[in-house]
Amino acid sequence: MDQTIPIIQIRNCLLVSIQTELHDRLALDLQESLMERVRLTDAKGVILDVSAVEVIDSYITRILNDIGKSVRFMGAECYIVGIRPAVAMTLIEMGVELDSVNTALTLDLALEKLELLQS
Amino acid sequence: MKTVETEIGAILAGTISAITQRSIFNRLGPLATMPVAKLSGADRQTVMTELENSVRLFARRNSAELIASCARALGAESPGDTGNGSAGAAAAGGAAAPPAAATKRLPIEQEKDIATARLEAWSESVRIGLSKFTSVKVATAVSELARNIVFYAGKGAIELRSVRDDRGSTNLQITAIDQGPGIDAKKLQEIWGGTYKSQRGMGKGLVAVKKLVDEFNLDTAPGRGTTVMCVFRGER
Repeated sequence: MDQTIPIIQIRNCLLVSIQTELHDRLALDLQESLMERVRLTDAKGVILDVSAVEVIDSYITRILNDIGKSVRFMGAECYIVGIRPAVAMTLIEMGVELDSVNTALTLDLALEKLELLQS
Repeated sequence: MKTVETEIGAILAGTISAITQRSIFNRLGPLATMPVAKLSGADRQTVMTELENSVRLFARRNSAELIASCARALGAESPGDTGNGSAGAAAAGGAAAPPAAATKRLPIEQEKDIATARLEAWSESVRIGLSKFTSVKVATAVSELARNIVFYAGKGAIELRSVRDDRGSTNLQITAIDQGPGIDAKKLQEIWGGTYKSQRGMGKGLVAVKKLVDEFNLDTAPGRGTTVMCVFRGER
């Protein structure tokens, strides 16, 4: 249970690949450590890869939105990449919004968009 | 040699498809190929429990009679003999036996149970043949319901039940039960009106579930706990 999700830095971006079942405690820990890393590294962007996450419910959506908001407050942009088609459909049907984060299909595209943003 | 498989197979032939029979016998494991004469009392009980569940689930009619025939073939007491005979009565009256199947009960007491319930619901959904997309919706709905239990009631349970309806499709019925504080009328109004904001969640869990499912039923009152029953319909 005592796992943590690694945060990788690429240039001025923080990259998080969520490879495990995103249970609640883990999600909150991630939020906290991301905030801390943004502050320490002066990151311009945070990218969360959720391509391995099979279920995103309203609570996890809220956490993603919260991460997006706090990253934005700190002057960086947050991208969620790799949302699965079935997850996207489910979110639409549930009527929950992922409106505090940007999305991109792949990690590559998110990096591209962030670079565009900085130039 | 009279094995469980040959004896029961002969009874179920024509009512339950060969493929379904195969899966029933697979679930019985080594008991399936055991000679009927060598079954112990406990073995017989195990076989009958599995058969009762499967026959109710898969046989479209006369399931009570089929179960009784199976019991006789195995030399076990018919379930009607010890109970109130309701199964026999249903068959005699010509009424369809309840299209019910085994209920899987998942206790929800702590956060990690949410993930377990989610996975169990997913695999159950796939097992009974719901589509890949529907199964993700099932897992998401169970995730919401389990979370509500942990957050608001502390503990409770989620029950998964596959139900064959009269259109011939297999549906998944999900029931979330807790003995928590319940939801009062004012809060309910806020929830459905979209103005409710909870401390920990988004206050949108129930609304989200209602939008995902095909049937939704909420039973709650302060001090009485909360029961949410919902159904995902399978395609025919």
